[in-house]
Amino acid sequence: MIRKLPVFIIALSILMSQHGWAQSRYTLSGYIKDASDGEVLVGATVYIKEAGRGATTNVYGFYSITIPASSYTVEYSFIGYQKVVREFTLDKDIRQNIELQADSEQLQEVVVTAEDDQTSKVQNVEMSTAKLDIKTIQRIPAFLGEVDVIKSLQLLPGVSTVGEGASGFNVRGGSVGQNLVLQDEAPVYNSSHMLGFFSAFNPDAVKDAKLYKGAVPARYGGRLASILDVRMKDGNSKEYETTGGIGTIFSRLSFEGPIVKDKGSFIVSGRRSYIDILARPFVDILKDGGALNFYDLTAKANYTVNDKNRVYLSGYFGRDNFYFDSNQGFNWGNATATVRWNHLFNEKLFSNITGVYSSYKYELQFGDDSRNRFRWNSSISNFIVKPEFSYFISSNNEVNFGAEAIYYFFEPANANGISNGQPTDISLDKKYNLETSLYINNNLKINDTWAVEYGLRFSNFQYFGPGTVYTYNDTIPGERKTVASETKYKRGKSIVNFNNLEPRLSVKAGLSEVSSVKASYNRMVQYLHLISNTTASNPLDVWTPTSNNIKPEIADQFTLGYFRTIGESKNWEASVEGYYRKTQNQIDYIDGADLLINEYLEGDLLSGKGRAYGLEFYLQKKTGRLNGWVSYTLGRTELKVDGINHGEWYAARYDQTHNLKIAAFYEMTKRWSVSADFVFITGTPTTFPTSRYVVQGILIPDNASGSRNNVRLSNYNRLDVSFRLEGKQFNRKGKERKNRDYWVFSVYNVYARKNAFSTYFSQSNDRVSAGQPLQSEATQLSIIGSMVPAISYNFKF
Amino acid sequence: MILKSLYKQLLGIVLTASLFYSCEETVNPDLEDAEPRLVVDAWLTNKVEDQFVKLSWTQPYLENALPTGISGATVVVTYDGGEITFTEDAEETGTYRWTPTEATSAEVFGAIGRNYTLRIVTGNETFEATSRINRTVPIDSITFKFEENDPQYPDNSYTAEFWATDPVGKGDTYWIRSYKNGVALNKPSEINVAYDAGFTAGGNFDGVTFLPPLRSVNPDEVDEDDVAISPYEPGDSVYVEIHSVTLAAYNFLNEVIIQTDRPGGFAELFSTPLANVSTNIVNVDPNGSKALGFFNVSAVSGLGKKLDE
Repeated sequence: MIRKLPVFIIALSILMSQHGWAQSRYTLSGYIKDASDGEVLVGATVYIKEAGRGATTNVYGFYSITIPASSYTVEYSFIGYQKVVREFTLDKDIRQNIELQADSEQLQEVVVTAEDDQTSKVQNVEMSTAKLDIKTIQRIPAFLGEVDVIKSLQLLPGVSTVGEGASGFNVRGGSVGQNLVLQDEAPVYNSSHMLGFFSAFNPDAVKDAKLYKGAVPARYGGRLASILDVRMKDGNSKEYETTGGIGTIFSRLSFEGPIVKDKGSFIVSGRRSYIDILARPFVDILKDGGALNFYDLTAKANYTVNDKNRVYLSGYFGRDNFYFDSNQGFNWGNATATVRWNHLFNEKLFSNITGVYSSYKYELQFGDDSRNRFRWNSSISNFIVKPEFSYFISSNNEVNFGAEAIYYFFEPANANGISNGQPTDISLDKKYNLETSLYINNNLKINDTWAVEYGLRFSNFQYFGPGTVYTYNDTIPGERKTVASETKYKRGKSIVNFNNLEPRLSVKAGLSEVSSVKASYNRMVQYLHLISNTTASNPLDVWTPTSNNIKPEIADQFTLGYFRTIGESKNWEASVEGYYRKTQNQIDYIDGADLLINEYLEGDLLSGKGRAYGLEFYLQKKTGRLNGWVSYTLGRTELKVDGINHGEWYAARYDQTHNLKIAAFYEMTKRWSVSADFVFITGTPTTFPTSRYVVQGILIPDNASGSRNNVRLSNYNRLDVSFRLEGKQFNRKGKERKNRDYWVFSVYNVYARKNAFSTYFSQSNDRVSAGQPLQSEATQLSIIGSMVPAISYNFKF
Repeated sequence: MILKSLYKQLLGIVLTASLFYSCEETVNPDLEDAEPRLVVDAWLTNKVEDQFVKLSWTQPYLENALPTGISGATVVVTYDGGEITFTEDAEETGTYRWTPTEATSAEVFGAIGRNYTLRIVTGNETFEATSRINRTVPIDSITFKFEENDPQYPDNSYTAEFWATDPVGKGDTYWIRSYKNGVALNKPSEINVAYDAGFTAGGNFDGVTFLPPLRSVNPDEVDEDDVAISPYEPGDSVYVEIHSVTLAAYNFLNEVIIQTDRPGGFAELFSTPLANVSTNIVNVDPNGSKALGFFNVSAVSGLGKKLDE
């Protein structure tokens, strides 16, 4: 039955679309763009008054509605833009591109979901998603004033972090490695600069970011907890434009413009930190080839070949460099390249084929000279081909189907040392994998009350030679497993092969025009595993594939939510969502696990179960001079692993009982606006010792009960504020300036609270003479223990 | 393991230099109470000097006092062909001593590869541990280096390193113990363990000169302002010993490094959860109380050098 399911779905969809057969039906389709710069608008609404039906544009700005022949009044709208109304006599298929004018009179406002009434969160079947456009992200006060996509997401329900400076984010109790971060369809394996203080995305090149926490459509797969889909700007297709900024950490510069007016455009953006340049005269450690910097370069171009074809090219390169001198230090970074081809087979069948190259690499070296040194690098790279099709059967019925093939190439460690002139190579075997999937998804609006989105993803993972794989002896759980046997595989020979079916289902029941109830179930499978046993994920963490010893991680998530719009003009939105996710084959580590350059890494891994559940409350005021949102999550995340905590359930490091965030934006005058955010989070779990003992003069901590995460750090709370001053809009002669600029003055951690990142236990660093007791101490670390003011200047011309 | 701690230090220094917003405070958290447990500290060597087995109780973590010794225990080490009895020190409670001569030391510890069993009877419980004496490797030389401009140390510092070559054959594990002017360098950050000439079993550095970070035998010392000082000054001496240890002891020491070497600061981002270090002390009654600590027997090589004035 399951094998026949796709056929069944298509048959059903076609059947559903045929009930108005007697009358001829035509399709209205096209792209919706911003009139000022030609950027396509994602999620813009097309609403047909007489039919009471609407559609939204897809990620490429394309819409398609099929309805019976008649005369119609069609409204094109997008929040923050002036509505456009057109009359059509639909007696044939009509192709209509529309440009919307940004509403300049309207006060700047923050929009988390861009959907308008008819296709709002209430009416839509979609749930457990959050979308932030770059205008919103730019208004959220950020650490050191640097606009940050990932830190902004952490203000939304269900999204958290283990602390300041930690890279990545946690979604509904998932680990950092369980998020798939896509930038223009290319996976980004480490989304941070400078450990975790800044995210890898240049805000000047980002159009929007959408996070799927649950109810994930079948077109996405590969990670358990979430999908973060970051879309880059296409570039201004009307005129040349330069934007930039000078901040505390980064300086940024972007250049964009038309390749051929209204047909193609490009954008090139770069950022570089400049601490090292400023610090060089003062800091000793940056002499002699030392470096401390991070930079990234983002580029994108697109060209509309004709009515039916459009191509996109995009690329990203980012790097962090930390060097003591020319012989010692390390660097890491991502590189991605994406090519996409949108093709319209006809008014109803939209296709996109994507090709991606993406890699993450780090390199570390130390030593004195060429006779004594150690060099080591590690990388993961992949190539992806992804054809996707959207079939707009009718305004109520859309089928998406497609396939994805990802070829992975792992270099766990290329390492060699030269000791006293003798070289030794300790590189590990490279690994080769292929992940392929097929999916089909149907989004069906049955009537005004019921809507359903259901789909199925079939995924296959292969690990093939050349390579050596090991089997391990069973041992007491929690101890290092020893090698039992080793097998060498030839090139191309299959080592392991896994198949999984991942069903997805969401249902919406409208209760009234302003409220609805939604439920969903989805299964996600993850074949790549981020090997990280530290509090925060670090740049040297390696990704490792599923193998004969590591099973695919599997998560099943159930959600139930209530959605409502409030107010005359429906400018308030409220929701409550509950989620329950259980995971299998979650990876954990023995105590003292050795994760780097270890041929027998898999002997140090444990496997366990996880469960995460919670309630997310969200209230947003979408428009007005004062707008913003309140988000509260009550949650629990637990793990159960043989060999840890006596095999009993324990709270994960990122378990946060209460997680409250408030973000508010207020337009004081035409030129001044203020933004603030407040965060309150229950202290995260940690392990404290009970006892101490001395062996060979070293003081060792011990927890007599042997439990994990037995206490909690103190609660976290923080307030950030930022003021924005728009540059004058008119020059002295009263003419409108072409140049636009603004200043941002921000203060992070306004009341300078010393929020605990961790409390650690150690012996004091003094040398103790024989016969004297060793001194033990507990130290609380606050990564940010003071108020952090920052200022930045931003311009556009 | 050491790679990671090296990397942590690298980060720690660079980041502390570039960001001034972090802060650390000594705190006094409430810790859970725990029953005291037996702790065994028994690291025997083939050196012709007094050998000790120390027995004590665990203490509450924040109690800054000498541990309480356990007296009245029977402490015996047996091997094929003999046994030695440790007698309790009259002055130091919980310290059990055996004083070898050239001849008895050679008789007991002379055969590389021999297995030993430590047996402790205290109260009405019996604890046992086993170890094995493995080969060690001679130290060829010690060199001092004048560092005009090493980022880790102030300008014009002296550092020391020893030179030795791991013998061919995988799986030699060592604890490199150093002394500056006769004082043992045994801060957590100074623990120096090797697997062959490298750091871990997975990294295959067999039969070569010890890698540079392992070779360095410099004290981790700072002045009042927490700034590193020159490891050696003219007139200082250094003595280096290579102790062979068992694989279990090597693992134990690595776990000790993870749990005790906490440089603080940003390195905390990359610390692993607090976990108990392993022990090879086993209660013969599986339902009896649990003990902590370690028993190891080492062959030792040593070499010293003085930095001329």
